[in-house]
Amino acid sequence: MTDTSPLVRIDGITKSFGSTVALHDLDLDIAQGEFVTFLGPSGCGKSTTLRILGGFETPDKGRVILDGQDVTRLPPDRRNVNMVFQDYALFPHMTVAQNIAFGLELKGLGKAAIKARLDEIMTFLELDGYGDRYPGQLSGGQRQRVALARALAPDPALLLLDEPLGALDAKLRGQVQKELKSIQRRTHKTFFFVTHDQEEALTMSDRIVVMNKGRVEQDGTPEELYFHPASRFVAEFIGETNLLNATVRGMEGNDVIMDWHGQTLRGHVAPGRKLPQGPATASIRLERLGFGKVRPETENAVQGRVIGSTFLGSRMALDVRVENAGDAILKAYVDTATGSTLGDGPVWIGWDADSMAVLND
Amino acid sequence: MTRGSRIFMSCIYWAFVLYVFVPLALMILMGFKDSKFIGFPIRSWTLDWYTGVFDDGAVVSAFGYSIAIAVLSTLVSILVGTWIAVLLEGRKFVGRPVVFGLAVMPALVPGIISAIAFRIYARGLGIEPGMGAIVWAHAVHNVPFVVLVVMARLSTLPKSQLEAARDLGADPMVVFLRITLPYLVPAILGASIFCLLLSFDDFVRSFFLGGYEPTLPVLIFAKLRSGMSPEINAIATVALIVTAAIGIWAERFTRRMNKDSKP
Repeated sequence: MTDTSPLVRIDGITKSFGSTVALHDLDLDIAQGEFVTFLGPSGCGKSTTLRILGGFETPDKGRVILDGQDVTRLPPDRRNVNMVFQDYALFPHMTVAQNIAFGLELKGLGKAAIKARLDEIMTFLELDGYGDRYPGQLSGGQRQRVALARALAPDPALLLLDEPLGALDAKLRGQVQKELKSIQRRTHKTFFFVTHDQEEALTMSDRIVVMNKGRVEQDGTPEELYFHPASRFVAEFIGETNLLNATVRGMEGNDVIMDWHGQTLRGHVAPGRKLPQGPATASIRLERLGFGKVRPETENAVQGRVIGSTFLGSRMALDVRVENAGDAILKAYVDTATGSTLGDGPVWIGWDADSMAVLND
Repeated sequence: MTRGSRIFMSCIYWAFVLYVFVPLALMILMGFKDSKFIGFPIRSWTLDWYTGVFDDGAVVSAFGYSIAIAVLSTLVSILVGTWIAVLLEGRKFVGRPVVFGLAVMPALVPGIISAIAFRIYARGLGIEPGMGAIVWAHAVHNVPFVVLVVMARLSTLPKSQLEAARDLGADPMVVFLRITLPYLVPAILGASIFCLLLSFDDFVRSFFLGGYEPTLPVLIFAKLRSGMSPEINAIATVALIVTAAIGIWAERFTRRMNKDSKP
């Protein structure tokens, strides 16, 4: 295998359960060392993809190529892929050490090699001293690390993670997210992470694949997805956004000229995409709106009045009525210092063309 | 609940307890009476009946015979019952309800009916009455309890455990031996104790299918026909203590195991 060929190639996979189509002709390449997250609501096909990669489901059509080898019909015990289960699936009758060694024994490693690998992985995941405990005696975070250690121990080419943070409380989750990312960096392993939590996806991933109804909605870096969502679904699913119903008048390069309640606005589309004239939706993130008493130097500027504000600590959430655009309401985040100077008089609201993505509906 | 009704309920409860335990207590008491006739008053006490029990070769050998039958029939029922349970719980197949129904039916057939049926069937097949026939009948009767207990336990085994084992390189056989079976141990132990007690206690099947050698219940029955004597009380008391001890120990043991193996 050369360096340019992907570690995993998903080639035209379709899978139905009864009359429900879970995956619809999915194509995807995953490079060695990537942290890829499949993000979407339940029933979007993300878990089915994971289970197909793990060997727990066989696709109706299409192939899975792992490391140059067609593994589509290989059972889970015969592919070099391990999984961290949603409920961790630790074996309750085995100690932590026995759980982690399970995969190593089945790989046919000798006693000394198992011991060495066990020590290495337990130190790596800070599980030293827990070897003789049973899973029932561990906290949620510890169990999660044991599950990770067990899956990493046999040195899989690809690690699958099925919403492994779902069972942790909010405080621990943030910490584990950082840990996971750091573990992935240090091991140079390819992680395939499945979640419905957009924040998790944004903080950890190199690349996010947003799924909806068995199809890929958008595939890109967290920044691309956040600031340049390609569809209304992605814009609404990731983060908070203002959606503007506008009418496309024409294009200038990658800029879209739109009419919004009599105001002319400039938006942005992905390079090479052309929008026809007619109705379209534009998305502008809440923190991308700027405020001032005088007209800002941005490409887009409208006038409005603050009609509601919520103090959130370091920043404020504002509701602004845009008076010269049909009394539309825009939501915005501003830092508290700026927000408190605005008062209830007329204010200018401005944003760059680049901050506003024009969407496929 | 009002005070009055609470007192009423506890009276009913204690009446029930008396109803259950007074006969047992009387039976135990009479085993210590120094007289051949059962009944009050008791003028003097003795342990002779107990020493008599352990000196009586027929009683000791019947005891051993009953235990041997209980152990063998339990082994057979556990093997067959666990196998059926795993088959039924594993995956859906055509005829699954039929297999389940057939596996559970022996528990519902009245003892006397199944005993007669076994007797006729055994004669038809040319099977001699005796240990083999009794073990066979007990095993068939006990299989349903094993199936139900093991299936109940199996249904609580998270599917992800089996998948995790597969994922880590185990083939289905290794998964069964290293994940499923250890998970079933508490259920299998519990079912074993139950089977042992059922078999030890059985009279009807042992009576109809027995040869010349009596099991303990059959021996007691034979002795009863020649008249009540405190010796029978002594035998019964020993049997009661042994079975109750096993039952209580097993209950505590399986309870602890169930608690330990919670994922």
